[in-house]
Amino acid sequence: MNIVVCVKQVPEVTDAELTISSDGSRILADDLEMDINEWDNYAVETAVRLKEAHGGTVTAVTMGDEDSEDVLRQALAMGADEAILIDDEDFEGSDAVGIARGLHAAIKDRPFDLLLAGVQSADNGWGQVGLVLAELLQRPYASLVVDVQVDGDRLTVQRELESNTLERVSLPLPAVLTIQSGANTPRYVSILGIRRVRNIDIEETDADDLGLDEDQIGVKSSSVQELKLSLPAMGEGAEMLTGSVEEICDQTARIIREKGGLQ
Amino acid sequence: MLPGRPLFWQIQPIWLFYSLAFIAVCIFAAGLIYRIRLWKTGTGGFPRINSRHLIRLFSEALLGKKIWSGDFAAGFMHFLIFWGFAGLFVGTVLLSVHEYIITFLSGTIYLVYSATLEIAGAMLVLSLGWAVVRRYVQRVSRLENRGSDAAVLIWIGGAAVSGFWVEAVRLTALQPQWQGWSFIAAAMPLAGMGSHTATVWYPVFWWVHALLSLGLIAFIPYSKLVHMMTAPAAIYLSDRTAGIIPVDERIPDGEVHTVADFVGFDACTRCGRCAEVCPATRAGEPFSPREYLLWAQQRAYENAGGNAILRRGILATGTADALFNLHRIWHCTTCNACIEVCPVSLRPPDAIRQRRSAVVEAGVEMPEMLAQSLKNVFKYDNPWEATKKKRAKWSKDLDLTDLSKNKKRTGKTETTDAKATGDICYFVGCTTALDTRAQGLARSFAFLLNRAGVAFGTLGKKEPCCGDIARRGGEDGLFEMKREDALDVFNKYAITDVVTSSPHCYHTLKHDYPLYPAGPACVDSSNLRIRHYTEFIWELMEKGRLVFDGSGPVTITYHDPCYLGRHHRLFDLPRNILAAVPGVTLVEMEHHREDSLCCGGGGDRMWQEELDGEMKMSALRIEEARETGARLLITACPLCLIMLEDARKAAGLEKDLEVLDLNEFLVRRISD
Ligand code: SF4
Ligand code: SF4
Repeated sequence: MNIVVCVKQVPEVTDAELTISSDGSRILADDLEMDINEWDNYAVETAVRLKEAHGGTVTAVTMGDEDSEDVLRQALAMGADEAILIDDEDFEGSDAVGIARGLHAAIKDRPFDLLLAGVQSADNGWGQVGLVLAELLQRPYASLVVDVQVDGDRLTVQRELESNTLERVSLPLPAVLTIQSGANTPRYVSILGIRRVRNIDIEETDADDLGLDEDQIGVKSSSVQELKLSLPAMGEGAEMLTGSVEEICDQTARIIREKGGLQ
Repeated sequence: MLPGRPLFWQIQPIWLFYSLAFIAVCIFAAGLIYRIRLWKTGTGGFPRINSRHLIRLFSEALLGKKIWSGDFAAGFMHFLIFWGFAGLFVGTVLLSVHEYIITFLSGTIYLVYSATLEIAGAMLVLSLGWAVVRRYVQRVSRLENRGSDAAVLIWIGGAAVSGFWVEAVRLTALQPQWQGWSFIAAAMPLAGMGSHTATVWYPVFWWVHALLSLGLIAFIPYSKLVHMMTAPAAIYLSDRTAGIIPVDERIPDGEVHTVADFVGFDACTRCGRCAEVCPATRAGEPFSPREYLLWAQQRAYENAGGNAILRRGILATGTADALFNLHRIWHCTTCNACIEVCPVSLRPPDAIRQRRSAVVEAGVEMPEMLAQSLKNVFKYDNPWEATKKKRAKWSKDLDLTDLSKNKKRTGKTETTDAKATGDICYFVGCTTALDTRAQGLARSFAFLLNRAGVAFGTLGKKEPCCGDIARRGGEDGLFEMKREDALDVFNKYAITDVVTSSPHCYHTLKHDYPLYPAGPACVDSSNLRIRHYTEFIWELMEKGRLVFDGSGPVTITYHDPCYLGRHHRLFDLPRNILAAVPGVTLVEMEHHREDSLCCGGGGDRMWQEELDGEMKMSALRIEEARETGARLLITACPLCLIMLEDARKAAGLEKDLEVLDLNEFLVRRISD
């Protein structure tokens, strides 16, 4: 079973102090650590497990600058066989369709049985790219997938719906799935693992090679216009405690007691 | 007639005996060779023998030095079995020498020979009886009982007792006048057997004894008795630390265990001393070093190629706890308590660390919290997910020299580097710099250094992670990376003299860094002088640069950090420092020095709380501290400090006991 898996490099923001550029156009990412998009990590793990069980190859593809090579190396270290990097500034400002067009152009000539992507990316959070890609490929798709079983030329997958409901659906191959976080436990990628794949060639391509022009990708083609980024304003009732750890603890305890949390 | 013994008296056909003996020796050799072949798949190779090895072999293997320590009864029993067995074995060899090479067993020599064997046989039989009592009557708890344990006792016992019967029957038949020298056999009851009957029955007794003895020889490599050969081999290999193979030179998915690890699997006698002292086992966690060795041994033989019959033979004498699995290897805190007591000088934590590196390489069965901490070390250069800025925060108001800037934080520029100024580099370490409790250690130590007028600095925000957590967790590629980064930083700022907060950084820098092969591929670390803060403080005290006075008497107890005590034998030094402070009365906990109890923070357990059992190791330790009645519990390691402080709070001892780092205590007691 040959699988293509789409990955993306995103900044890690869980504990970071975010700053936004003065014109509100972007997050200043200089101090941020970059990592593979959480959902994509589950998608790569799913792909590699399917390969281990059924044979075939896994190809990882990403769109980004040269630093994005890191996420491809990570996918290779996890067990992917090939990697494609779409590196072109022209894609900047694309909406989901623009990005999907790029990915579609890069992979459409490869024979594959299954295409996997994360449900969404941690930075944009659109949750669309995988599905638009399925439309472009004219293939059946399922989103929010947490489990994949192969039977013959069909797939049976579990979709995670709200309040712990699971939906089981069957679809013919080739198909497109977007993988939900928590679908498995992605394997640990050791430094040794990364070093072992450092000599694997990564196929690089750009919009020209892919035959895409300005009308199809980038800001011009985008149907949404990004206006301004801002950090959420501190809401009513929020109070920042300052001081040493002891002082903060004391204040916290006092507040909890005052509000009746501790009787 | 001179006293002597007719060989093969009444025995026919002799060729049958020799054929059987030959077969027995072949079975013996095949088993041993099969094992040695497996050992050779290990990494690291066999070292050359030198005189130091031989001395160790003599004291530990022949005299059984480590067997005596701690458990006298077991030591004495083993001594009797060993020398009884050895005596009878040597006696048999001498008999062959006498028969085929030079004749010497006659007259007085024979009588002494005969009496000696008599004593050896008695030692063996008596001690086997004692072993039976220990195992099945006393039921010494650390012994785990398998069928093969009973088989070994019965078999050796059978061979020994049948030997006495053979002798007794022969004496009855021949009635030599020197039979008083064979005092035991002569006293054996033969139910009124006459000389004639004895002569007729003698061959039967003889063959039974011969078959039992030959069978025993053949059985040795397939039972725990193999430790007769493997224990000396393990002891011989044990005082050598295997060098680290750089990750680029490793074979993908290749063997991770060293030759010494493999020999160790085969040398483990399952005596259980390690399980008695292992803090994880004590805390009721599903782990013991013995369990790991048996499990690893079993896996190794299950996967070994070669003759299937031999493999089955070796595996037949017992298998490991079926419940043991790969997930349990993370319980080990690398405290080395087991190494201290193992009679055959095995090093289970070293073997376990090697296995961890294989699990990390495969990646699929990594414990999640550890994986996260290792990722943090990669991304943030510390396991605590803290930004660079936070690393220097603890000293914000202290005005320390930043060696990476070559100037005072607040002041004028100095143009010289650390080497030229003779500045000591205080290596704070991730946990000490970032954990609010452990920061007290750093602040106090910096205070003492300033008080003593030491020219020192830190690396501030640029201080690297030494890689301890990567090394202990088996993330060897990450460790190599951290080592290179750290050495680059030291080289860049010409730092050669390092003093650490943590015994863990100390061990990593001092012991692990030099384990890489010399050569262009690896950065050299031999120009570094590494000291732990206790060593440095003691030097300052000896020079009279730190003086303490009493402010009233205080009773304290001292907790030995594993990496200071057992790993680096610094037992006396911290105690000497404490003893030099007026007013201090030191009381020891039940377990201290070599058999100190681990706090549970080492070996990456600090970052894997999910492994804790019902009882935490630190809770056991705090209880021992409480029992001493001391007001203060002092330690010299940031991890111990954090673990014990938490345990103290959990035990509700806030009013009765205070947990302090040694520096914090000294600051309280410094002369104005
Ligand atoms: S490792 Fe050593 S102490 Fe532990 S059971 Fe084996 S021989 Fe005994
Ligand atoms: S090093 Fe300590 S924790 Fe690890 S197996 Fe030995 S005794 Fe147990």
